[in-house]
Amino acid sequence: MDRYRISTWPPPLLDLINELGMLPGIGPRSAERLALFLAQSPAADVERLAESIRTARRGIQSCATCGALSDRQPCSLCQDPRRDLGILCVVEQPVDVLNIEKTAAFRGRYHVLGGRISPTRGVGPEDLRIPELERRLQDQPNLELIVALGSDVEGDATAIYLARRLAGRCARITRLAHGLPVGSSLEFADELTLRQAIENRRPLQ
Amino acid sequence: MHLAHLRLRNFRNYTRLDADWSPGFHVLAGANAQGKTNLLEAIYLLATLRSFRGIGGAQMIQQGQAGYFVGARIVGVEQHDARIYWSVSRRELTLDRHPVRRIADYLGVLRAVVFCSEDSQLVKGSGRIRRRFLDLILTQTRPDYLAWLQRYHAALRARNAILKGREIDPDALAGFSAELVRAGQPLMEARASLTPRLAEVARSAYERMAGGGGESLAATYEPNVRGDLAVALAQSRARDQAYRQTMAGPHRDELQLALDGRPAAQYGSEGQKRTVALALKAAQAEYLTLHHGAPPVLLIDDVMGELDRQRRGGFIPLLEQVRQARGQVFMTCTEENWPRDLGTDLVRWTVTAGSLNPS
Repeated sequence: MDRYRISTWPPPLLDLINELGMLPGIGPRSAERLALFLAQSPAADVERLAESIRTARRGIQSCATCGALSDRQPCSLCQDPRRDLGILCVVEQPVDVLNIEKTAAFRGRYHVLGGRISPTRGVGPEDLRIPELERRLQDQPNLELIVALGSDVEGDATAIYLARRLAGRCARITRLAHGLPVGSSLEFADELTLRQAIENRRPLQ
Repeated sequence: MHLAHLRLRNFRNYTRLDADWSPGFHVLAGANAQGKTNLLEAIYLLATLRSFRGIGGAQMIQQGQAGYFVGARIVGVEQHDARIYWSVSRRELTLDRHPVRRIADYLGVLRAVVFCSEDSQLVKGSGRIRRRFLDLILTQTRPDYLAWLQRYHAALRARNAILKGREIDPDALAGFSAELVRAGQPLMEARASLTPRLAEVARSAYERMAGGGGESLAATYEPNVRGDLAVALAQSRARDQAYRQTMAGPHRDELQLALDGRPAAQYGSEGQKRTVALALKAAQAEYLTLHHGAPPVLLIDDVMGELDRQRRGGFIPLLEQVRQARGQVFMTCTEENWPRDLGTDLVRWTVTAGSLNPS
C-alpha cells in the first residue's frame, strides 16, 4: 500500500521528501507530511522559506575566536566589552553557549571545543579546537577556565585531559559541580548523582 | 514476591499464553522439546532482561514472527505490570505502562534465580562467568552498582581504544585512566564486601548437599588489583602498551572456588563441580532473601533429575524458606524424574507443544 502510493508520487516531491528526511528528528512520516504541506503552500511563502534557509546558511559561521555560531567575525560575544575578559568557559557544542547564556549567570567568554575525546568513535584531542584555546591562553595568561562538559565518561575524561594539558597556563581551572537538579525532590535523582551530591555537600550558612 | 500473571505472544514455541500463578511450588511436567524451559526463560527475561541461555533477543522470537511480547503482573510489596516487546527494529520495555528509560529503574521489580545445566560453567568456565555472577547479585542488591559497572566498561572500552591507536596521547590516556579508577574502585569495594558473606552461605549449602564429612567449599574474591587501582594502572602502563589493552583492573578479577583448599575446576569430579555450581546458586537465592527480606522466584530447570537423594535433600531448606515466605518456585521435569520427595503441595502443570494445562 505504502510503496504503491510513494512510487506514484511525482519525482520532485520524492526528492523533497528525501531531503527533508535528512533533517534531525524528522522521520519518513514527518518528511512526507512536510513535503506535502510545502508542495501545496502558496508559492510566495515557500520562496520566502527557501530564501531564509539560504540566507541563514550563508550568513552563519563559526566565530574564529570562540567557535560559537555567529553572523559576524568575531562574534558579538567575543566583541562585547561588558564581558569579563578574565574568565573563559569551555563547552562542547555551540548550542551549549546558548544554554549557558540563558542562565545569565555567566559574564565571561566562551570557547567551543567542537566535541569531546571519544576514542571508541575515533575522536582524539587533535580533532578538537584545543590549539585555538592554547593560543587564547597564550595571549592572556591569567585566565580562569571553567570546564563545562557533560559528566559522562568521555566528558569527564576530556575535562581531566584539558586540566593536564593546560596546567600552569592559566590562573585556575574549575569544572561544573555535580548535584541535585534544583527544584526537584530527592526521589527523582539517580544514585550516582545523589552520591555526588552527598560527597560535594555544602555547609548551611 | 511472586509472578501472578504471565502473558506470552510469539515467544519461542508459545503463540499465545495467558497463565495465572499462585505463590508456591509449580511443577512444569512434559516430554522434551515441548516448551518447559521456554517458560522459565520468559520469567528470567522479565527479571534480568536477558536469557539464561546466553543468547540474543532474536532467537526468542517465534519462527516466522516479527517480534515477541512478554508481559507480567508481579506482586511483591507493591504490584507491578511489566511488558517487554522485542523485534529487530523495535524494543520496548514498560513498567506500569510507562516506558522505562534506565535499566536500573527496572531491575529489582522481579528477582529471580535460575538453576540450569549451564550453571556448571560457573566452575568450569572462564573468570568472566564468575564475575558476571557476582555482578548480577550486586546489581540485585546495590542500587548504584549497575551505573558504576556501565561507566567502568565505557571507560575501559575508551582506554583500550587509545591503547590500540598508533600514537598514544599520555594526557588522554590519563583522562580515561582516572575515569577507570573512579568507576573501578566502587566495583572492587562492593565485590570485596559481598564475597565473604556469599561464601559463608555457599559453604553451608555445599555441606548440606554433599553430606556431612564431605569436602568444604571455599569461595574467595581474588581481586586483580590489591590496593590502589590508580597506582596499579600506572605500574601496568608498559604492559598495557605492549598488549595494547588494559591489563590491570576489576575486569580481570576472579572468584576462586576451592574444595578443601584445591581449585574445584581442576581437582573436582564432575559431580562435585555440579554441586559447587548448585551451592553457588543456592547461596545467591539465600543471600537475596536475607538482603531483601523476601525470597526471589526460583527457576529450576531439570537439574533435580540429575541429582541423587542427598543432593536433592540439600535443596529442601531453601525450598522450605521460600514456602514459608509465600515465595514461588517453578521447576521443570519429565515424568521419569518427577520430584516426589520434594513435598506434597505441588501445583502440577503439563506442557505440551507450547500450551500449558493444569494436571
